[in-house]
Amino acid sequence: MRLKLDPRTKLYMILVVSAVVLMSATTTFLWTVRIIMTLIPVILLVIEKRYSSALWFAFLYTVALIVTFMFLSEESTGIFKALLTGYSGIVVQFMPALITAWYVVRTTKIGEFMSAMQKMHVPDGITISLAVVMRFFPTIREEYSAISDAMKMRGISLGGGNAVKMVEYRMIPLLFSCVNIGDELSAAAITRGLGGEVKRTSVGELRLRAADWLLITAFTAVAVLFVIFKYIL
Amino acid sequence: MSTDTNDKTNRLKPKDFITVGIFTAILFVVEFACGMLGYIHPFIVASYVVMIPLVGAVPMMLFYTKVEKFGMITIMSVLLAIIMFVTGMGFLGAPLIILSGVIADLIAKSGKYKSFKKTVISNGIFSLWICANYFPVIVSADSYRKDLLDGGYSAEYCNNLFMAINYKTIGVLLILCFVFGCIGAVIGKAIVRKHFEKAGIV
Amino acid sequence: MNGNIVKIEKVNFKYKGSEEGLLKDTSLNIKKGETVLLTGASGSGKTTIIRLINGLIPHYYQGDLEGDVEVAGYDIAKTELYELAGVVGTVFQNPRSQFFSVDTDGEIVFGPENIGLDPKEILERKNDVVREMHIEKLLGRSLFELSGGEKQSIACASVSALLPEIILLDEPSSNLDQSAIRKLADEIRLWKSQGKTIVISEHRLWYLKDLVDRVIYMDHGKIRHEWTGGEFRSLGKTDIKKLQLRPLEVKDILSASCGCEGECGMECGMDLSGTDTDDGIMLDDFFFSYERKPYLFWKKQFSAEDENLTLCIPHLVLPAASVIGVVGKNGTGKSTFLKCLCGLEKDCKGKVEYEGKTYKGRERLKLCYMVMQDVNHQLFTDSVGAEVILSMETEDNERVDEILESLGILEFKDKHPMALSGGQKQRVAIASAMAASAKLMLFDEPTSGLDYSHMEQVAKLLQSLASSGITVLVATHDPELIEMCCDYLLCIENGKTGYMKRL
Repeated sequence: MRLKLDPRTKLYMILVVSAVVLMSATTTFLWTVRIIMTLIPVILLVIEKRYSSALWFAFLYTVALIVTFMFLSEESTGIFKALLTGYSGIVVQFMPALITAWYVVRTTKIGEFMSAMQKMHVPDGITISLAVVMRFFPTIREEYSAISDAMKMRGISLGGGNAVKMVEYRMIPLLFSCVNIGDELSAAAITRGLGGEVKRTSVGELRLRAADWLLITAFTAVAVLFVIFKYIL
Repeated sequence: MSTDTNDKTNRLKPKDFITVGIFTAILFVVEFACGMLGYIHPFIVASYVVMIPLVGAVPMMLFYTKVEKFGMITIMSVLLAIIMFVTGMGFLGAPLIILSGVIADLIAKSGKYKSFKKTVISNGIFSLWICANYFPVIVSADSYRKDLLDGGYSAEYCNNLFMAINYKTIGVLLILCFVFGCIGAVIGKAIVRKHFEKAGIV
Repeated sequence: MNGNIVKIEKVNFKYKGSEEGLLKDTSLNIKKGETVLLTGASGSGKTTIIRLINGLIPHYYQGDLEGDVEVAGYDIAKTELYELAGVVGTVFQNPRSQFFSVDTDGEIVFGPENIGLDPKEILERKNDVVREMHIEKLLGRSLFELSGGEKQSIACASVSALLPEIILLDEPSSNLDQSAIRKLADEIRLWKSQGKTIVISEHRLWYLKDLVDRVIYMDHGKIRHEWTGGEFRSLGKTDIKKLQLRPLEVKDILSASCGCEGECGMECGMDLSGTDTDDGIMLDDFFFSYERKPYLFWKKQFSAEDENLTLCIPHLVLPAASVIGVVGKNGTGKSTFLKCLCGLEKDCKGKVEYEGKTYKGRERLKLCYMVMQDVNHQLFTDSVGAEVILSMETEDNERVDEILESLGILEFKDKHPMALSGGQKQRVAIASAMAASAKLMLFDEPTSGLDYSHMEQVAKLLQSLASSGITVLVATHDPELIEMCCDYLLCIENGKTGYMKRL
């Protein structure tokens, strides 16, 4: 089974999650709400058959929660504990946003995304650029791994202990590659009509279905609960 | 017919949007790589203002050589704001990011995107976006501190964090960002000259 | 003439920033429904002609353009590129850089969506294209996990979905293996049967010779020869060689010259010391898989008994100081083998024995050096000289000059490596390998996209490396190259050594 969500629903999920992430949970009730909220994208990942990432996120989050609640308190000091607090604190704080972002990026096709942006009246320029950003992350990873292989072969991974060289050796070939790929990518995209004056169409139909409304309601509820219990009560 | 085409050259073309996309992706990867170091110690979080402008200046200076029209730097800042939002850094920083993008774009435009001096200042201003990372800490410093403690952060981490980043130091941090943005621009330009101009790419 | 769909008249063109003109007073007419091949050395102007037809010149690549270009009734100079999207389609050289989407489905419909067709019609077109090209199994996948050949198929499909009258292909086979090239030929045949006008710029001729109606030979920006398809097919070997073209007939490296049928499926663990040299380089225990092994406290090592190994070579002897061709289909483990051999895959614990010394793990990096397919990844400094010095343990300027001299690139010593041509960059990478005194040099597809004379140069270079005592392994899809320079042929299939024979 594949659950097809509207990209707009996904963006709304991100909006709510990143807002909630900024409001730290202070009571047990709020913690519960927060954890439930984090579980939703995990479940969605499972539905998408992305078991390993779902498992990893769930595992890391659980460990961080346990560490935070069981072992650390205001009095905890020492380098090791400080480091541990830092890590688990950040994981607990930002994992919900990270996992939602991961889910959205992994399951949204560029075409779908572009038509959603168009429906929300985002200017074409921003839509195209953002689509390129999404397409380019995997490319940067590919290029970087080839470059770091080449560095290993030359024995210059550490730049001979020189931090400037370390950055330079990585950055320069990467930029050369990216500029080249970008040039060819633009040429290929333009000859296939990108950026024309015609309104772009999309085969992925955008419709808010029952599942979309359900999720929108759920996330709205989370946001409302947080605001009420944190700032009003 | 000819005036028609003249009009169109001042508008951004798909190629420009793709260039913006590519460099935004690279800049974000740089920010992310530096950001990972922040997990080690809170002081490193404060040193973003030095690291990111310096390292990021290399792609930025290459980017500036490709900018000829108004809007490219602005769009980059909008994209950065969106990416920051999507990756969970919130939306409080968005106004600062976009504002610094627009101003940087205007400054570079006043030098017709060719003047080196204007480019340096423009990059300095653009670098202010990095401070958006600190906004959640500053805007609600007191309650945020309490939240952090309640949320399991140790008192020591909080003390360090707030010693480095608070409403008194934010001014200093902004100035540092600007200064290192300018220094980075000069170094970055030298690297672009050393490699890309020598290779005949730009 | 009404039948001419492409009219190029007296065109002179010079790229911005370059001094010499790339096209000189060139005229070319192409009839509707014709299949035309453009060939000739690198830099002869083939690609420039393609760019004139699809409008990238003057709208994308700037320069001084004189003369007129008219395509399907459009005056190219006055037509915006997006207006041409449904008229002219282009398949480019590099499969990695020409897709805009991340998923295959999105890429096929990308063009039609851009020109604003009705979604229903787009889907119909997509289904037609997929059916015609038999690419059902590629649907619903990420473009980043496809092989080069599969990516090129998607690129063809994506162009096809726009239903252009004219299809241009710019060195489309550069990064493909022989079976993928045959698939490409099928796709071109399909377009031909649909009555499309096709223009192909290409160095590899064997797969096109039966498809083309007309062949244009270019040299230094001018059209020097023109043949009909029949005339071209009847050209003798010596004529082809005189024109510095790649041969019209090549051996099928994957079946004929390798003799792999049946034999390649040898059991893992089979000893392959069938070579007559025992004093060669011994490889032992090369096992590797991209699927991670589950481990709890320490990593479990790969062994011959494991299933799904990407690479499984328990023992192999490489004859020293010779050129060994490594062949095999794309995705059967050639590149993995090279990467493991030079120690880039940490989890591969293979041993290399050379002159009585055993090299393990990271030590292999000192013994081996790989010249990558995309050589841009391994050039780090701002001058050719500095690049060589970077590989040396102690700076020795005389040795630098010596190495550069022997490779014929001494004149570029102070130039930026990225300012050089592809072949010259390759030499810079070889120079740094020599400076690091590597004994085993690995080449990953060194001749992809090279013309005949450059390929000949590479072949000579590999042989001279071998005669100076270096063992050269070269993974390639080019039968011509194997014929020119290889002493041995190693066939890899499904990660196992299938065959090792003397040529």
